[in-house]
Amino acid sequence: MVLLKVCGVDCYYGSVKVLENVSFSVDSGELVGLLGPNGSGKTTLLRAISRTLKPKVGTVLLNEADIFSMKSSEVAKRLAVVPQSASLEFEFTALDLVLMGRHPHMGRFEREDQTDLEIAKEAMMLTNTWHLAEKPINELSGGERQLVMIARALAQRPKVLLLDEPTSHLDINNQIGIMDLLKKICLEKNIAALAVFHDFNLAARYCDSLILLHKGKIFAIGKVEEVLTEENLQKVFNVEVIVRRHPITNSLYIVPVSPLQETKTSPKNLRIHVICGGGTGTPLLKLLYRNGYYITAGVLNLLDSDYEECMLLKIPTVSEAPFSPITEENHEKNLRMIDQADIVILSNVCFGKGNIKNLEAALYAVEKGKKVAVVDETPIHQRDFTGGIAEKLYAMLKERGAIVVKNCYEIPTILEKLENMIQP
Amino acid sequence: MESSRVEIAYLKRFAKWSLILAVLSVILLFSMGVATAIGPMSIPFDKALKIILHQIPLIDNFVPVDWGSLEESVIVQLRLPRVLSAVVVGVALSIAGVAFQCLFRNPMADPYVLGVASGAGFGAALAMILRLGFSVFGAVYAIPLMASIGAISTVFLVYGIARTGTELPVLRLLLAGIAVSSFFSALISVMMALAGEDLHVVYMWLLGGFSLSRWEYLYVAVPTVIMGFIILYAFARDFNIILLGEEQAKQLGVEVEKVKKSVLIIASIITAVAVSISGIIGFIGLIVPHIMRILVGPDHRILLPSSALAGASILVLCDTVARSIIRPIALPTGIITTMLGCPFFIYLLKRSGKIRI
Repeated sequence: MVLLKVCGVDCYYGSVKVLENVSFSVDSGELVGLLGPNGSGKTTLLRAISRTLKPKVGTVLLNEADIFSMKSSEVAKRLAVVPQSASLEFEFTALDLVLMGRHPHMGRFEREDQTDLEIAKEAMMLTNTWHLAEKPINELSGGERQLVMIARALAQRPKVLLLDEPTSHLDINNQIGIMDLLKKICLEKNIAALAVFHDFNLAARYCDSLILLHKGKIFAIGKVEEVLTEENLQKVFNVEVIVRRHPITNSLYIVPVSPLQETKTSPKNLRIHVICGGGTGTPLLKLLYRNGYYITAGVLNLLDSDYEECMLLKIPTVSEAPFSPITEENHEKNLRMIDQADIVILSNVCFGKGNIKNLEAALYAVEKGKKVAVVDETPIHQRDFTGGIAEKLYAMLKERGAIVVKNCYEIPTILEKLENMIQP
Repeated sequence: MESSRVEIAYLKRFAKWSLILAVLSVILLFSMGVATAIGPMSIPFDKALKIILHQIPLIDNFVPVDWGSLEESVIVQLRLPRVLSAVVVGVALSIAGVAFQCLFRNPMADPYVLGVASGAGFGAALAMILRLGFSVFGAVYAIPLMASIGAISTVFLVYGIARTGTELPVLRLLLAGIAVSSFFSALISVMMALAGEDLHVVYMWLLGGFSLSRWEYLYVAVPTVIMGFIILYAFARDFNIILLGEEQAKQLGVEVEKVKKSVLIIASIITAVAVSISGIIGFIGLIVPHIMRILVGPDHRILLPSSALAGASILVLCDTVARSIIRPIALPTGIITTMLGCPFFIYLLKRSGKIRI
């Protein structure tokens, strides 16, 4: 059932248009996330829906009735707002604050009675704040205060709930707690909820659908995977992101990539292939990336943190299924990549049966006459889980002229020298 | 759901409130009794009480007359109107102070925040210097009438300046109040400079006091202040919620603009009434709400009536001190309220360590 319907709303602050032709609806039991950069009109939209700001054009229907033709107390009985957490400098107790949610239901000279108290208690039990009932609001922590504000909203017994950044300024445990609670409230009480988020990942994980606002207009609306695309986010937020599905939660998650152009120095012509794994390559990859080299990598297992780093930096990578030994096919691909590289760097990686082929690949590179640099931080016998094979290959590698460095921070100096040798 | 300790404690607070109000009422009656008995002509407390009872129709016949007509007229014509004026002014300033501090969410706000004091002062000074002597019902009304006109027109002026469309932003109100208030203060200074021999009268009036009190003034003041109190009390729960901020208050179903406009006008009118009968009495409207907030808590449903009763008691006692401390000179009451009230307030402030709305 559609509980909230926004039809063609235009809002202005003075003569500045902040919302243009915004239309959407929220069903009962549905949690809809509202995303968009600062100044895109998210808070304004919440204000228009909560009857605080009158739209110049368009209507907001609450259960099919225009909110601006209703009395504000009538609206408050059906729609509750959880504001952005702000400090409240007064000495009302948490229970007093929650009982303020009963205001629209009470007559002018009426006092809170047993029923009001029961409703407040139920709301506070649900948000797990009943034990705070007699504590002054200003003595609560940010997370507790936010929960009390949600309890106050629930005490209004609303059908529609609006939340303005319900999780900002909160610790990660409180963020998850509040989102779990919201989801539960929507489903159990059949409430339609619309919440502003800054955190894409929380929104992706908990919302049924999303609205992406951009410059006062709806840029994208629909299911999470339709809205949170790399393309959309890049256009609206002007930042490169990677959208992936999280292996544990199976919801989308978004990783922003550091603005590409800023950190890169002038690009260099040298092409470098990195053999790494298990996180040993990450600092090296970052270093090379920042210095503007063209980088390739392989073979790396999916879910390996070095692989994630390569994805983040958009480095062409030969990849293997998670936790699987390198297949002949991928090894072959890796060798072809090495063929195209000017320099090969081997990180301080450990070797086992699964990735011994990578050491063979390094050896292949030396034999092909490529310049090979080896980061030898931990003695090889400590990194060898192949029963001596790796140690033997490693020794061969050194014998045939691989340059050995103590840590990855020596690499740039080595590369400068090599650069001059290769391209005089 | 079974009632728990917390719920019972919450519901018990209403009984506690009634008790607080009963105690404060007794304190007020006692203060009024003491104030009526004390004066240059010493009249025993019981005699004063009997004289007062004798004035009330129906029970007057049960009180045997054992006093002289001089004593009766001192009590009835001089002290009673003075004490009642102090009560009315104390109530008016205290509840107006509560209302303004809440609406502006500013602990510095007082009943004069919108320029009522300087507007009234200007009106009164004008009446004194021009020696206006018009009278209504045979009593000289020029000063209170001119003071009221000055006060109320100032409020509407400030209101008009601050208003933007249909909204009434509190910051604009505060600033407009300061500007208009300063302007009228300057005009008062100009008139005082030109006043010559009237300077003393104008000056004493501005300091605030009850030496000019008479029954006739109360006929208008009492009903106005009672009505004002009832209307403000009707908004008590809205006041609590407005403390959260106007936006949240709107979202909780409070008609913020409507409440703001009504309360500003009501509070200004009762302040104007107070100023018209006593001149400008400082401190009460600013400090009584703070004292009561420390003592009874922030809920306006108890804060408003308890401030009214406490404010009345404090002003009655201050006025008694003012007229008896350096006999035969009667000091302006406004000086005493400030001199006695400030140290007490500073003590409370130091003790409780915090001050909030």
